[in-house]
Amino acid sequence: MMALLVVTVFVCIALGVLRFLLGPTDCDRIIALDILFSAAVVLCALAALISGRILFLDIAIGVVLIGFVATLAWTRLAETSRPQYKERRQ
Amino acid sequence: MTIAGLLILTLGVLILLLASLGLFVLKDALSRQHSATKAGTLGIVLVVTGTALIGGSWAWGGRALLITVLAWLAMPVASHVLARAAMSQRGEE
Repeated sequence: MMALLVVTVFVCIALGVLRFLLGPTDCDRIIALDILFSAAVVLCALAALISGRILFLDIAIGVVLIGFVATLAWTRLAETSRPQYKERRQ
Repeated sequence: MTIAGLLILTLGVLILLLASLGLFVLKDALSRQHSATKAGTLGIVLVVTGTALIGGSWAWGGRALLITVLAWLAMPVASHVLARAAMSQRGEE
């Protein structure tokens, strides 16, 4: 049962990596990163269940926070590195 | 309790699969971020709730509650910022 769930999450990760590599714009890559972090949280929860250690849930808390900061930072970079924005700033 | 937890866990993983399928079914970045952030949040919250139900003690429940609150705080902000960036990058492929 648990193995089936883990395989399903790996399918999600494969789809996310494919979109990460294919994505035409930067935004598609950031969205794929979001999905990858969600899948990482789910994998942490499944690891906690399979091994019976609560420690993995603490790691999941950290992964949620890192995912939030990564999404914000990269989106900010993608938005401010465009030529129109630079012209507007000058 | 374990049966209910397993059901909720499976539902959450299937919703996460749906969210990542949305990356390929939907056509541009603005519509893709809907599926990634909204369905992704629901998937995380369902999986963590199922984990807490199977774990069965407050040590699991408290951490699950913390992850749920953090996901509910973080994901709408990420969705808003992504939508703004997708709007400004629209048209350049």
